[in-house]
Amino acid sequence: MHVDGRDFARLMRESRLDEARAVLERSMPLAGLCAFLCQGECMPYCRRAEVDAGVNLPMLERACALHSRPGKVMPLPASGKSALLAGSGLSSLCLAFELGKKGYKVKIVHTGEAGLALAAGALDLLPQGALAEALERLMALRVSFERVDDFSPGLCAALRRENKAIYLGLDDPALNLSAFGVENPGDTLTLETDIPGLFVGGAGLSFIRAAAAGKRAAGSITRFMQGVSPSSARAGEDVYPTKLFTDLSKVLPVPPVEAADPKAPALVEAAAEAVRCIQCSCLACVEKCAWMAHYGAYPKRYAREIYNTLAMKIGHRRANAQINSCTLCGLCAAVCPNGADMGRFCAEARKEMVSSRHMPASAHEFALEDMEYSNSPEVAFYRPQPGHERCRAAFFPGCRLPASLPEQTAKLYAFLCRNLEGGVGFFFRCCSMPARWSGRPLLTASSAAGVREAWEEAGRPELILACPACSLFFSAELAEIPIKSLWETLAALPLPDTARALDRVLALHDPCTARDRPALAEAARSLALRLRQNTEELPLSRGFTRCCGYGGLSILAGPQVGAEIARSRLGDTDKDLLCWCVMCRESLRSAGMRALHFLDLLFPGEEDAAARPAPGISARQDGALAFRRAMLQNFWNEEDEAADMEPIVFHMDGEVAEKLEARRILRSDVEKVLLHARGKGAQFRDPQSGRVLSCLRPKQVTFWVEYSENADGSFTIHNAYCHRMRVPGTPGEGLPTAVILEGFDPQGGRV
Amino acid sequence: MKNESGEIQPGGWICANCGVPLELLPADAIYMGSSFQVDLPRCPACGVTFIPQELAEGKMLEVEKLLEDK
Repeated sequence: MHVDGRDFARLMRESRLDEARAVLERSMPLAGLCAFLCQGECMPYCRRAEVDAGVNLPMLERACALHSRPGKVMPLPASGKSALLAGSGLSSLCLAFELGKKGYKVKIVHTGEAGLALAAGALDLLPQGALAEALERLMALRVSFERVDDFSPGLCAALRRENKAIYLGLDDPALNLSAFGVENPGDTLTLETDIPGLFVGGAGLSFIRAAAAGKRAAGSITRFMQGVSPSSARAGEDVYPTKLFTDLSKVLPVPPVEAADPKAPALVEAAAEAVRCIQCSCLACVEKCAWMAHYGAYPKRYAREIYNTLAMKIGHRRANAQINSCTLCGLCAAVCPNGADMGRFCAEARKEMVSSRHMPASAHEFALEDMEYSNSPEVAFYRPQPGHERCRAAFFPGCRLPASLPEQTAKLYAFLCRNLEGGVGFFFRCCSMPARWSGRPLLTASSAAGVREAWEEAGRPELILACPACSLFFSAELAEIPIKSLWETLAALPLPDTARALDRVLALHDPCTARDRPALAEAARSLALRLRQNTEELPLSRGFTRCCGYGGLSILAGPQVGAEIARSRLGDTDKDLLCWCVMCRESLRSAGMRALHFLDLLFPGEEDAAARPAPGISARQDGALAFRRAMLQNFWNEEDEAADMEPIVFHMDGEVAEKLEARRILRSDVEKVLLHARGKGAQFRDPQSGRVLSCLRPKQVTFWVEYSENADGSFTIHNAYCHRMRVPGTPGEGLPTAVILEGFDPQGGRV
Repeated sequence: MKNESGEIQPGGWICANCGVPLELLPADAIYMGSSFQVDLPRCPACGVTFIPQELAEGKMLEVEKLLEDK
């Protein structure tokens, strides 16, 4: 019957009787009748039956039917369609009710008293007046009754001639198939027979299954009259096992409530029985993922909301921010008994948003510009190991590690050069993962092609990858490039002389990008073991690890949710974290946790490395450039030509720098504005304070910088802000570049 | 930087090129294919337009977000 038993029990528990009845009536025709005929066929399948006994829903139904008001039936206007029902068993009455609501003119032909075909034991179950009330409801729907002496072959032939749609309710013993010329019983799904328009049901069924047959016949007759396929998309009407996983480990046995009068249970008895309902639900992912919890519902609802947003032609696309703040980390799929993966869903949704040109320009622009910066010729480079022309391998530290731990990265490179045969080149650039995370397949492919080209020029070395996100990206997008993880590489080498353990327990944090590669997590553990570093396992680790908030660009596209995701690690331990992905280390440190990277143990630098702040975005970009200069100078004896440019010197106090960081205004953005003003002149000045204000729109964002010039030619920055909207007439509107424009025209509008 | 009637005011800024105070004049604002006309402080001589921080981080940001999710 598909009654929502869980919701029904919840409302009965709270004695919300009319609402509970509405839940019944939504799925159960003539609920005032069916409630008393239900024999609880669901009870053995109730999950509580595995603990003690299934919830006695028939008892709740009866109490509800006795103590609530029937809902108002609002039939559709007369449709001009009609159907003839032979027999007045429960299946026919329920069918008449369903068709009557749809505006059909329904006639029931029967022998004996109307409805008395129920007699086989049913009347004893019904309270007084229940049948009469049901018949009244049918008559209010313009259902007519015609009594005949018997179903003679002559009458049956006449009925067939006069009616396009006929239903034979075999739960009325007065009927037989042969009188209507039907040879085979009806199809169990659609109740169709060999004769078009003639449907059969109700034979040999329990009352509730007969009622369900009537409901199903209503669907078939409606489809038949509309000329629609009688069988397509109806599997859900049948009985099927639930896919819902419910954890029963915390469910305690509670004895079932016995009603003093089973035909008329008291409300208190029903409410007590309803309390036994465990309200089956699976919140396995919602309990573990801050993103799931943040939006206040569960995956099924999210999937619907996301689907609705994608399907929307016009209007507010409500789920945009939600789609873009998922970390795509796969924890939900790892913990879901059915493997449901919201991350994959959101990743596909992003692609769809990009291709339909509905991806908000601001969501990933910053990350993609950062990627473009890392891959620009000013930053990216490859060099073979000094003294080698071609190298068997190349160290690929990723874009973040060198900026965050420049000295350790250089020492690690020197260590690899000393310990690996065949030469180790140095390959500095971004793998292009941000493009993939942002849902841009074209940009992903072109950016990956850039990596491939540089790798081919380098002589196709095997790449040693420090970053697990790079590993994931190479496996997915650049499978032809041989890769090896740094962590597996280190496992086969002696420890560096400098390596030292800390004399306290550290909590090992695994990155989500290695969730499906257990070998990497094992390599990190074996490294910790060889270091003799005491570590503890976090409650969620290895394949079940939590994302730091950086995955899927979550923290960039939805800073608030991203920060909540990062903070969810806080409750897992009071120890310092030990990370082997630098993005994890930075995100978790920014979220207020103390965190180290393995390189802090292999090549120790400062005293309290766990407290080292994560570099801000400007510092990271400047750091990448400084790292390149230092590397080229120290390993290859090259002077970086970029260093010769006349620098613009500017200062700002810590508070201003923090504001800029929060607004994602880079020092290089400020520099561009100042350079522009130096060439073209400032645009505004305040004669009283002597300050000047200049603006520039290098790409999709207009930056405003308020500053004053000092006597020595340097500048002091007092404030900076930005906006994305274009205002022609604001000066300094430059031309945008092509980087993030998949799905957008250069002006930031839709193509 | 708004006066009592909610108009955006230029504060103490004057046009650096022309040396004249800014005046409230109509200007276009364009984003995601939509455009609006608003009164903004502009130089009456050369037309250069000033966007105060309050506007950039307030109303303007709000409208940007609305248009992005449309």
